[in-house]
Amino acid sequence: MANGKSECLREGATPGEADKELARRRGTALWVAREIVPHEARVRRWLARSRLSPEDVDEVMQEAYCRIAMLPSVDHIDRPLAYMFSITRNLLLRRLRRQQVVVLEAVSEIETWQDETPSPEEQAASRISYERVLAIIGRLPERCRRVVELRKIEGWSQKEIAAHLGMTEKAVEKQVWTGVRAIRDAWLQAEALSENRMLGADRREARSW
Amino acid sequence: MVTLAGDQARDEAARFVARMDADDWTEADESELQAWLAEDPLRQGLLLQVQAQWLALTPEVEAPAVPVEEEEEPAQSGWGRRGVLAGLAASAALAFVGLRWSQSPAAYTTKLGEIRRLPLPDGSVMTMNSGSELTVSMATKLREVQLAQGEAWFEVAKDAQRPFVVAAGNVRVRAVGTAFSVRRRETGVEILVTEGIVETWADGDQSLRMKLEAGDRAMLSAHAVIDYETGISSSVDRALAWRGGMIDLNGRTLYDAADEFNRYNQRQIIIADPRVAREEFDGLFRVNDPEGFAEAVKASLRVSLDTSNPNLIRIE
Repeated sequence: MANGKSECLREGATPGEADKELARRRGTALWVAREIVPHEARVRRWLARSRLSPEDVDEVMQEAYCRIAMLPSVDHIDRPLAYMFSITRNLLLRRLRRQQVVVLEAVSEIETWQDETPSPEEQAASRISYERVLAIIGRLPERCRRVVELRKIEGWSQKEIAAHLGMTEKAVEKQVWTGVRAIRDAWLQAEALSENRMLGADRREARSW
Repeated sequence: MVTLAGDQARDEAARFVARMDADDWTEADESELQAWLAEDPLRQGLLLQVQAQWLALTPEVEAPAVPVEEEEEPAQSGWGRRGVLAGLAASAALAFVGLRWSQSPAAYTTKLGEIRRLPLPDGSVMTMNSGSELTVSMATKLREVQLAQGEAWFEVAKDAQRPFVVAAGNVRVRAVGTAFSVRRRETGVEILVTEGIVETWADGDQSLRMKLEAGDRAMLSAHAVIDYETGISSSVDRALAWRGGMIDLNGRTLYDAADEFNRYNQRQIIIADPRVAREEFDGLFRVNDPEGFAEAVKASLRVSLDTSNPNLIRIE
């Protein structure tokens, strides 16, 4: 296939399927939230080792998410992280072939991924703690913070929040939008932070020997 | 072709995620989203990513006990009471067959001033601090300790098939092969990790799930993470000096120090002057030597002692 991205196109949903599509999308996102997001930094690190530029890493990651988004269901995937690795691996190999100049070391790095299980340190480095979530939410503008707290910590629906705060549902949705963006940015920062933490851990180890 | 979704596309993705988060997703919304997605094939991936990041921070993402070890099956058996009952049932059944994991939950207590080191049947070692009370049950799928009172330090033997879980009230701490301590205090449950990594959460509240690694300290209640510090290996070691029968005061206040000695001794230390209580103090002392400590305080802070009552030491 000349352009792998074309596989990402999905036929437009027929009318009447909005709810079904919404549920499928949500199911997949929940699965990704649980199984992949906590390990994303690790996948990125592995990609970076094959000498891809950060922009290329972003693109491969997004293509990989694209593949997952296309699945009708994720129930059949037994080992989510391994599955994510094999998708990114295929995308990466294809990309390297397209570039024609195949860096041999890069390919051998790609072949080694199966030997890796995340070390406890890596797992710890890739988490974003509840405390940090609270801190992120705490920094949001007052009105937005109130809405996000009720939505994420208390688990209220947007409709319930609107009634409680005397806002329109649209206004609540807008505050949630701001919250989504803030949390997305926080994840990006968490990734950078986890890189630093890993480096820090390496240094600590080096000293203790 | 615009391949990398720029900030604008990210914002749009966030807007769709916020709308999907509401309760009234319509056909019109769906069509609008489909049209947006069709503009760039990578947007499917972007949308999923942003939606997953938003959902990842919601308590309803109930992870089936994120395994500490990759290869390990998530333990599906219930924790807490259910786990203990299962353990009881299992050991009752096994008692007839006479298998080696057949002991029923064993209860252990330590008296005031007693520090007890106990090997467990699975090869783990448990060191109980003064005035503690706990129950150990070893089932085929789970090793569980219920800490009713006090503090204990666990050096856990590695066994990926049988997670090691300490329950203290609603708080759960789980490890595979690692060393950590759990202490019940008035304000919550304190966890110190000396080796490897543990996972903690509160029964019934997935949002409190967090991972702690060596050198981390966390204080949890049933409803919140009260305190969390990372990379403090040396103070974790100092806080666990009791394992060697010592109290290590490294710049802790006199008030804390007195509290610490009072955990181990019948003879209680009382600090009469609150200004003195806030003074910071250094030194390594035997847990059973409050008199020695009081003498040291007297010498360095030039305060007076009242030792006339055999049950009290008053620092004035």
